[in-house]
Amino acid sequence: MSGVLKTIGERLKAFRVPGYYKKYDHYWTMVVDLDKCNGCAACTVACYAENNIPVVGDDQCAKGRVFNWIRLEKYVEGEYPDVKIRHIPIMCQQCSKAPCETGCPVYATYHNQDGLNVQVYNRCVGTFTCATYCPYDVRRFNWHTYTQEKPLEQQYNPDVTVREMGVMEKCTFCIQRIRAAKDKAKDEGRKVQDGEVKPACVQTCPTGAMIFGDLNDTGSEVYKLASNARTYRLLDDLNTVPSVIYLKKVSGNGGTTHG
Amino acid sequence: MKRRDFLKFIGAGGLGAAAGFIFGRTGKPPGAKLMPVLIPDDNITLGLANYYSSLCTQCGAGCGIQARVMDGRVKKIEGNPGHPVSKGKLCALGQAGVQSLYNPDRIKTPLKRRGERGTGDYVEISWDEALKAVTANLAEIEKQKKADKLFLLTSPQRGSLGGLMRGFMAGIGSANIHEYELSRYLNLQYANKVSMGLDGLPYYDIANTRYLLSFGADFSSTWASPVNMSYGYGQMRQGAHRGKLVQVEPRMSLTGANADEWVPARPGSEAILALAIAHAIVEKGWYKGADAGAWRSLLGRYSPKDVQEMTDVSTERIYSIAKEISSNKPSMVIGGDGLASYDNGISGHVAVNILNHLIGANGAIGGVLPNDHDSGKVDFKRGIAPFNQAALSGNASALIVHNANPAFTTPVAAKTGEALRKIPFIVSLTSFMDETSVYADIILPIHTGLEDWGDDTPSPGVGFPVRTIMQPVVTPVYDTKSAGDIFLSVAASLGGKTASSLKAGSFAQYVKDSWQGAYAKDRAMASSALTFEEFWNNLLKKGGWWTDQEPKKRSINVSAQAVSAYLPQGQAKFDGKDTDYPLYLVLYQQHGMRDGRGANLPWLQELADPTTTVVWGSWVDINPKTAASRGIKEGDLVTVESPYGKVTLPAYLYPAIRPDTVGMPIGQGHSAYGRFARSRGANPIEILPFKEDARSGAYALNSTRVRLSSNGKGNMVKIEGSTKELGRGIIRTVSSKG
Repeated sequence: MSGVLKTIGERLKAFRVPGYYKKYDHYWTMVVDLDKCNGCAACTVACYAENNIPVVGDDQCAKGRVFNWIRLEKYVEGEYPDVKIRHIPIMCQQCSKAPCETGCPVYATYHNQDGLNVQVYNRCVGTFTCATYCPYDVRRFNWHTYTQEKPLEQQYNPDVTVREMGVMEKCTFCIQRIRAAKDKAKDEGRKVQDGEVKPACVQTCPTGAMIFGDLNDTGSEVYKLASNARTYRLLDDLNTVPSVIYLKKVSGNGGTTHG
Repeated sequence: MKRRDFLKFIGAGGLGAAAGFIFGRTGKPPGAKLMPVLIPDDNITLGLANYYSSLCTQCGAGCGIQARVMDGRVKKIEGNPGHPVSKGKLCALGQAGVQSLYNPDRIKTPLKRRGERGTGDYVEISWDEALKAVTANLAEIEKQKKADKLFLLTSPQRGSLGGLMRGFMAGIGSANIHEYELSRYLNLQYANKVSMGLDGLPYYDIANTRYLLSFGADFSSTWASPVNMSYGYGQMRQGAHRGKLVQVEPRMSLTGANADEWVPARPGSEAILALAIAHAIVEKGWYKGADAGAWRSLLGRYSPKDVQEMTDVSTERIYSIAKEISSNKPSMVIGGDGLASYDNGISGHVAVNILNHLIGANGAIGGVLPNDHDSGKVDFKRGIAPFNQAALSGNASALIVHNANPAFTTPVAAKTGEALRKIPFIVSLTSFMDETSVYADIILPIHTGLEDWGDDTPSPGVGFPVRTIMQPVVTPVYDTKSAGDIFLSVAASLGGKTASSLKAGSFAQYVKDSWQGAYAKDRAMASSALTFEEFWNNLLKKGGWWTDQEPKKRSINVSAQAVSAYLPQGQAKFDGKDTDYPLYLVLYQQHGMRDGRGANLPWLQELADPTTTVVWGSWVDINPKTAASRGIKEGDLVTVESPYGKVTLPAYLYPAIRPDTVGMPIGQGHSAYGRFARSRGANPIEILPFKEDARSGAYALNSTRVRLSSNGKGNMVKIEGSTKELGRGIIRTVSSKG
């Protein structure tokens, strides 16, 4: 028995060794153009609706337990009158060398064949290790079993489970939408087309600042944008190899040139 | 579950069992749910979603939406990809519309007042009883020959419901229709009317502009048509040419944060600043029009040198803006709430129209374009002041309120509550118990937009005619009715002229009839389908009627003579002596709350404000220097006092506000409106003077000075940690080479 468990353990461990996958089936990648993003936060609400994210209330928010899988961070530079306020939407970066995956004692978080960090909710025992290791502060913990007042729960998306107390969760790149598109493509005997999968945030983004696609697909829009001169990855000196690519905000005098 | 139910459950088999689990969540006994799903509705396939095209009613922009419906429940609202306004996108408020539908605080049955007005003490009654009471009251008014004193107070209506209401009021013999909303952009519409002869709001072609000068238009967040304008902004930034955005406002809004340059002009001097820029353009010869001479003499008194003291913007900066806006064409100027909200709001918008004339933006691609559709004429004489005046002097015999909440969005000084108390009979058609409805004698719960029929012409539109259709996407959640059906059934019971003018059997039929009328007249509509039924089905599928076209340029003239009467005389007036009340007060609509309508939606309460990250409450913005000089620390409770009253809120030290100014967001401080909204933050509108411009019907939000006093430790919940990047390179920038 212990031998079997050991074998399973070894197998699960293998998933989180960077380089386990020679090549992802799909390399789901998100590009966020910070020059287009205007901080309207439509992405956040879209995510709440799509992923059954609980509203936790002011007392929980005060304890830093707000549940936004995607948040808008705000940074301030300078003093009045030369003050700059800048925004950046931050969600799980789906790192290819993910710090969060290395520590989980129950293998609740692992890397899948599409290059996503996935969280197996019913494996999670809530040790908080992954959230501690994550440099992007994108993991969210169910401190309580949060419920909605009736009949608000009638809105819950049946494609996504609701989580309960003690479970860690985070942005999935709307894996339910990826699954649906892949299933449809498989049924029709074709490949998933560029633009066929759009996570809720990307779909609703009014400025068109967010673009999603498969980096393995050389015809995709994200593939083209990945070679843009403005690209950078968040905290890239940590060598986490995020699947989210940011495009630098153009600053200064406006002007007419694109970076 | 009882044993019998359990056996039934087992017997129902696979599909039934699965359905039982899903439908068991709705709270009814499991047995009651088993059969209906075995024989489901035609359009329900378990596990598959249907998408219905409709109209977003969360604000007045008129975005086309698609509702994702599964098993008879709305799961999500998304933008309609084919719709010219929303283009498949939707804002935070729009998406939260599903929480209006499934809100636990919706009014579930008709109510009759039991306690004092304003206390919210009501008893449930039947629809029959409620409609009889309304009809009896209106019949009595007709009998007493007081029907001309009946008032209708409604949110602005640009579609069939508006037509139905006008028919109803005309039938009864009253002209008193007051369309009210805090953000109706009345000063803007009035200024456009008198200076360009335009009705309604024009389309601002942000996508194609290369230099956008915005006077307090927070279009990224709350102003006019945020989804469409944000789309344009994205195009402007990374489209064919990267456009520049310059924002003039005393408190940096979200749009101001996105701007390349922020110009914190002194509050109330924006109109003067706009004319100083106009002066510079004419003076330097950058305007080449034949009427340059007329403008030169008209604008003579607004030289940058003379106004730099008043506007607190340097001469050099004024000339540099004038130069850039003249040399980076197409360029455009937009005036938003920050410009309109002063007592000289009309002058401000006229000044913007002059500037747009001088840079050739009126009627140009990348400029200001009319829509060529009728989004309804505004009766500028029907603001809230004449309404309150009539009610206070006993000249209102009854009032029908429909989705309007002036009791929340007008100052105490406007005496709206007192006015409502004086009206002998009030019936409110609403989905929520808001601050105005608590004065009503009868409350008739109406459908939300997702349960009702309707249609709309968007405003501001997209530069060509668009008409959107609204259809029910789910069966009503509660025992509510369509507002249109209520008007029709009351009209039928009243009989006489009112009944004969409104013949449709239902509001759904009324909407369809109005489209049939349009179909009969419009050649393009008629040629799109063989029969009206085919056209109608296409319409419901597509979500509205528009032809694929691009906005066209045209010629719009602003003459120096026409606008000369509307030029600003000086800085806008602020009540209170600067020795007693040293700080300007500026108000703005909070991102998700808007004019307060979003406060009952938990998603929006928990959505961090983009400029402050505060959740579940409101705050007062104070410049850190101003706060330090008064010993105020972040989160301290601060009492903000104007000559008209005071409110107490926690302080947010906002570095991007003028030190001589404090700001407060509108939207919180509800005394009613449900569990999520009630008793959070404060309503800053309460402490304003009530100065309504008799010409436009808009009242000035930014028109008083205030003083601050510290009041102990407060409770402000904000999401942000450090606002400094500390060299981590989180938001990286690259400078443009232009």
